[in-house]
Amino acid sequence: MKKFIAMGCVGALVLGALILLLTGIGIYNGLVKRSAAVDAQWAVVQSKYQRRADLIPNVVETVQGAANFEKSTLTEIADARASVGRVTIDASKAPEDAAKLAEYEKAQGQLSQALSHLLMITENYPQLKANENFRDLTAELAGTENRISVERDRYNEVVRDFDVAVQTFPRVLFAGMMGFKTKPYFQATTEAQTAPKVNFDFSTPKR
Amino acid sequence: MTVRKSFLVLLLMVGMLAVTFTARGAAAAEVIPPKPTEYVIDAAGVLQTQTLRELSQTLKDFEAATSNQVVVAIYPRLPEGEVLEQYTVRVAQQWGVGQKARNNGVVLFCFMQDRKMRIEVGYGLEGALPDSLAKRIIADEITPSFKAGDYDAGIRRGVAGIMAATKGEYKGSGRVLGVHVDGGGITLIVFFGFLLVLVVLIILSYYVPQGQVYSSAGAVAGNILWNLLSIILQMLLEGLLSGGRGSSSGGWSSGGGGWSSGGGGGGGFSSGGGSFGGGGAGGSW
Repeated sequence: MKKFIAMGCVGALVLGALILLLTGIGIYNGLVKRSAAVDAQWAVVQSKYQRRADLIPNVVETVQGAANFEKSTLTEIADARASVGRVTIDASKAPEDAAKLAEYEKAQGQLSQALSHLLMITENYPQLKANENFRDLTAELAGTENRISVERDRYNEVVRDFDVAVQTFPRVLFAGMMGFKTKPYFQATTEAQTAPKVNFDFSTPKR
Repeated sequence: MTVRKSFLVLLLMVGMLAVTFTARGAAAAEVIPPKPTEYVIDAAGVLQTQTLRELSQTLKDFEAATSNQVVVAIYPRLPEGEVLEQYTVRVAQQWGVGQKARNNGVVLFCFMQDRKMRIEVGYGLEGALPDSLAKRIIADEITPSFKAGDYDAGIRRGVAGIMAATKGEYKGSGRVLGVHVDGGGITLIVFFGFLLVLVVLIILSYYVPQGQVYSSAGAVAGNILWNLLSIILQMLLEGLLSGGRGSSSGGWSSGGGGWSSGGGGGGGFSSGGGSFGGGGAGGSW
């Protein structure tokens, strides 16, 4: 009789351990998938920021051609772009450090502001406004800012999915020992984080 | 606990669950218009019926030829407090215009009272229809006509511009996703035919000897009969599943839609699940 009880206990223990193992595997896999989704979306956000960075030399070149364009505005753009380059952030993995992400965001926000400022100034240069190249560039800039905004929102969505998973019961019991921490969100920066407004009056005939 | 009591408790639990789900659903409701069933939506009533019909046909043929899904959506105004490009990308994404694998959708939004419009371009067509080109189409093709009050011409020229830009990008299959709405009646017949054959097969299986050979002649006859029936079954299944669709799941749901609509009305649109990333351009007039 005692033997059966002992065997029963051992059996229950083994079963319990098995269940725990399977649950652990399931939780781990789920968190890995979500983490991968965040990394993937981070890469998309990076590519949109890169797209904007690639447009800037074109903008500067086109604008420089306009006679007597305010040098200070161009310097502002150059400085902002330089400060973006100074923030070293891992492009392959989603940021885990909220402070690092905030620093990165601040630099990008500065660049957004500088661009916004530049486009405001160009309102005073009618020959620029009529320039086909410039029209195309500003359309591309506005589109890029929009893309950045869309992908940042989607990034926040996947991060929320991950953070909720990591913090809810019962995953929260395992998440710590598996090495999963909550990831930071993109915040709305205090500087006016608005897309450069493009207000062109196309009633003037081109050519 | 008595059976009656436990049943009541179960009912209560189910009821509570139902309430939670419906409450959540109501809270999550957003001001996104329902998925389009036509290529041209004119909720503001600015287009003539002739234009509507012609454009719908043109866009349907365009989808068949290139697999690109282009939708025109004209509304009286933007919902309260919405920013144009943030709203249009959400709507386009929700509608899922464009094929799922290619993301080749374009939606031309017009908000008449706000005098704003936007061309929303899916990921897959951002190369063919870049932001600068979308801006040109808005500024040079649509806005002049709109300013003159000729909305038909504006939309026609806008659509022409979009099609010209995107036509070389992908090759179409000659069919559109929404075709099942046309053949709804036929799908019904095929489905019941399939059921009938299945019933016949089941009945026959009791009479057709399988495995055990009662007599060589009977076994051969049974074998032939079985093969014939399985071939017919296969043909019916193929016809049911592969009748003009991009994905089998789309085929089934469109077939379901066909039943409810009675299998009438040509020219239906069915979105393929394409995604949008905020590409395109906006403008006002």
